[in-house]
Amino acid sequence: MGAYIVRRLAWLPLILFVVSFATFTLARYGPGDPISVAAGQIRDPEVLERVRAERGLDRPIPQQYVTWVTKAIQGDFGESYLQQGFSVSELIFPRMWISAQLGFVALIIVFAVGIPLGLLAARLAGTWMDPMIIGTLLFLQAIPVLVVIPPLTWLFAVELGWLPVGGWDGIFHVWWIGGVIAIPVPDPHLYIPLVAFTLPGFVGVARLVRVSALEVNLSDYVRTARAKGLSETAVQFRHVLPNSLLPLITVVGFALAGIIEGALFVETLLGINGIGRFTFEAVTSRDYDIILATTVIFATVFVLTNLLAEICYGFVDPRVRIGASRG
Amino acid sequence: MSQNRILAMMLSVLAGLVLVVGGLSAVLLLSGGDDTAGGGDGTGTSTSIGGNPAEAASGRLRLGGSDPVTLDPHVAGDAGSAEYIVEIFSGLVTLTPDLEIVPDLAESFDVSPDGLTYTFTLRENAKFHTGRQVKAEDVKWSIERAASRQLSSPTAIAYLGDIVGVREHFFGLAEGGIPGVEVVDERTVRITIDAPKPYFLAKLTYPTAFVVDRQQVESNPRNWTRRPNGTGPFTLAEWRLGERIVLQANRDYVLGAPKLSEVVYLLSGGSLLTRFENGELDVAPVSIADIERARDPNSNLGPFYQTSQEFSISYIAFNTNVPPFDDVHVRRAMGLAIDRKRIAEVTFSNMLAPATGILMPGMPGYLDDDLTLPFDPEAAKAELALSKYADAMPPIVITEVGAGAEARTDTQAFLEQWRTILGINVEVRQTDFATFLADQDAGRLQAFNAGWIMDYPDPEDILDLKFHSGSSLNDVAYANPEVDNLLDRARVEGDPAARLGLYQQAERLIVSEAAWLPLYFSLGHTVVQKEVIGWFDPPMVVPRLRFIEVSR
Repeated sequence: MGAYIVRRLAWLPLILFVVSFATFTLARYGPGDPISVAAGQIRDPEVLERVRAERGLDRPIPQQYVTWVTKAIQGDFGESYLQQGFSVSELIFPRMWISAQLGFVALIIVFAVGIPLGLLAARLAGTWMDPMIIGTLLFLQAIPVLVVIPPLTWLFAVELGWLPVGGWDGIFHVWWIGGVIAIPVPDPHLYIPLVAFTLPGFVGVARLVRVSALEVNLSDYVRTARAKGLSETAVQFRHVLPNSLLPLITVVGFALAGIIEGALFVETLLGINGIGRFTFEAVTSRDYDIILATTVIFATVFVLTNLLAEICYGFVDPRVRIGASRG
Repeated sequence: MSQNRILAMMLSVLAGLVLVVGGLSAVLLLSGGDDTAGGGDGTGTSTSIGGNPAEAASGRLRLGGSDPVTLDPHVAGDAGSAEYIVEIFSGLVTLTPDLEIVPDLAESFDVSPDGLTYTFTLRENAKFHTGRQVKAEDVKWSIERAASRQLSSPTAIAYLGDIVGVREHFFGLAEGGIPGVEVVDERTVRITIDAPKPYFLAKLTYPTAFVVDRQQVESNPRNWTRRPNGTGPFTLAEWRLGERIVLQANRDYVLGAPKLSEVVYLLSGGSLLTRFENGELDVAPVSIADIERARDPNSNLGPFYQTSQEFSISYIAFNTNVPPFDDVHVRRAMGLAIDRKRIAEVTFSNMLAPATGILMPGMPGYLDDDLTLPFDPEAAKAELALSKYADAMPPIVITEVGAGAEARTDTQAFLEQWRTILGINVEVRQTDFATFLADQDAGRLQAFNAGWIMDYPDPEDILDLKFHSGSSLNDVAYANPEVDNLLDRARVEGDPAARLGLYQQAERLIVSEAAWLPLYFSLGHTVVQKEVIGWFDPPMVVPRLRFIEVSR
C-alpha cells in the first residue's frame, strides 16, 4: 500500500510537467499577450518590443519554459502582469480560500442530497414514477451551470429581492441574540452559487446511487437478509446502503473536478472573488503566470483527490487490494 | 457495471462542459457593450465592509473601486490605476478640476523663448509623506527611472519621449543619464525637449512624470508600492487586495491640505448602487439598468443623480489600406447611412451622447457645430454610387471585443441600416480583448469598433497620435498629406489660438474623409449622497479628492 502511494505520487511531477508545458505553450501561442493588455491605449510597437525583451518574452518558448520551471521549483511562480507588485501566491491564496470554502460546502451538499435521493429513486424503481424520476434527473443534469444562474438571480434577487445579486461574505453570518448568544446562519450570498454548483453534482450522485442500489438489491446477500426475516428498513440501511455507496468514492474526484470547472462560471457570473473568476480573467487577458499557476494547482488537487479516493476504496472494499497485483 | 457509470458521468461532465462553453458567449454578451474594451467587469457583488453607519467618522468618504493594476506611477497606463496614483503622488505640474495646468511640486516654471527649455523651481515646502524635502535630484532620478531600460515602462516614450536623450536611455543606446534633464541647483531643474511642443507641459501632468522616493524604491524595488512614499494630497494607509484601499489626508500637501480626513474604497466590486441605496457608499455609478430610475426626479435615486461629460469617444475605424475602405466614398456612404442619434436613444437610453466630431465638448479646440456625417439615406446611396466598388463590393468584416454569438446592440442596428440602405452585407466578428489588441496593432482588422480616452487635454493626444501618417498608433493607415501638414505645424505652433485653429482644420478633414465614424462621447452618470459637498466627475483623471467634503 505504502509503496503504491509512493509510486503514484512519483507520477505527479510528470503529470505536472505535461500539464504545465501544454498550458505554457498554448498560452504563449495564443494571439495577443499581457504586455499589450497592460500597456493601455498608447501601444507603440517599438516600445512594446522593448518591454517584451526586458520580460524575456522574446525568447524561444522552450527556453522561457525552462526559466519558468527553474523558478517555480524554487517557489517563485512569477508575477501577474495585471496586478503588479504582488507575488502569484499572494494573489491566488486568498481567492483559493474563498473557492475552497464554497467548494467544500458544495461537495457536502452534493452527497448529502444525492445519496438519499438515489436510494429513494431505487426504492421506486419499477413503479409508474420510475421513468418520471429518471427523466427529471436526466433533465436537471443536462442543464449547464450557466443556464441555471440567470433565472435564479432574476427570480430571487431581482424580482423577489430575497437574496443578493452576487458577491461573497463568508460561509456564515452571525446573528447575535441580545449581544450574547451567537447563532451562525448561512450567509445569504451562498444560496444561488450553491444551487448552481450542486445541481448537476447531486443529480449525478443520485443516479449513480440508484443504479448501484438496484444492483445490490438483486445480490445474493440481500436476498439472504430478506429471507432470514429482516425488516425492509434494516435491509436497506444495513446491507444495501453501505454496499451501494462504494462506487461513490471513486466519483469524489470527478465531482471535485466538476466543482472547479463550475467555479469558473459561477464565480465569474456572480462576482465572487474566487480562484475560478480569477482564472477566467487571467485567461482573457493572457496573464501567463497566473494561468499557469492556477492550472498547476487544479491539476495537483485533481491528482491528489483521485489518489485519496483510490486509497479509501482499498480500505472500504477488502476485495480491492491496491497495488497487490500491479507491476 | 459501476465502471460504466463512472464513464457515463465523465462523459456527462464533458458534455456539460461543451454546453457551458457554447452558452458562455450568450451570457457574456449581456455584460458586453462596453466600448472602450476594458475587459470584464464584475457582474455583481455585495458585502458589507464598513457598512455600519456608526463608524463613519466625520470627513470620511466611502467610494467603490477596484484593485489598481499597479501603484507605480512610472509604469501605470490605465485610468483605473491613475485614479489612485494622482491622489498619492504628484509631479512638477498638475491639472486643476478645470483642466488648467498649474505648478504643483514646482512653484513656478519658465519656458525659454525658443520653446525648448523648461526651467522649474521647486517649492521649498514640497515634501514626501515622510517629511523629506523634494529636491531637483529627486526629479531627475525619477524621470531617469521612469525612462530606464530596466523598468521598460510602456508609457515612458509616450509621455517623456520628447525630452532630449530619453529615447536613447530607454532603448539602451546611450550610457549615463538623460542629458535633457539637468539639476541646476537643489531647487532648480531644467528640462530640454527636442522641438518646441506646446503640449509637452500637459504630458508632465501624467503619472509617468511623477516623483517617487529613491530611497524607498531602491531599498524595496519589488514591493515598495504597497505603502508608497509619495508627495500627493493623500497617503496610502491600507491596501487589502480585493477588499479595500484607505487613503488618509496628507496635511502637509503643498497645494493645501485635503478637507477630508479619509477616503475608503471598497474593492469587492458588484452592485455598488445597491450599497449606495443601503447607505454604505457615498457615491456610485449608475448603469443602464437603472438610468431611467435615476433620471426620474421622483424616484428614490432622482435627488442624488448627477451627469457629467467624459473625454472619451467610441468609433468605428476603417482600415484605409484594405478594400473597400481605401475608397473614401465607401467610408462616407457607410457613415451617411447610420442614424446614431436614434440608436443612442434606443439602445443606450441616451447614456452616451452622439459624437459631433472627434474632440469632445470641453476639450481645447472643440467646435460647437456638428462635423460628423448626417444620417441621410439618399446622400448615402449617391455617395456609394461614386465608389469604384459600387458594383463589386468586397466582403466586409467588422471586428469588436466580445465572446461571439451576438453583436453589440448598436452594431446590429448599423448592420441593418447598411444592408437596407446601401445593400451592403457586413459581417461581425468578435474576439477576446487580447486577440483584438494584437490584431488591431498589427493592422489586420478591416474595420473595428474601438474607443479612445484622452490622456491629457490637448488635441495632439488624439488627432496627431491616431491620424498622422507617421504615428505608430495610426492603426487605420490614414494618410493625408494635407492633414499631416496641419498636424506638423500644430505640434510646434507657439500661438495657442492659431494652434487650435490648425487642429480644427485637421479634424474637419479627418471627419469628412471618414477614416473613423465617430459614434458617441461618453457621459458619466453617478448618484451622490447629500452629505457629500463638492463632488464632481471630471472629464479625465485629475486629482480631485482634496476638494471634496463630507458633512457627517
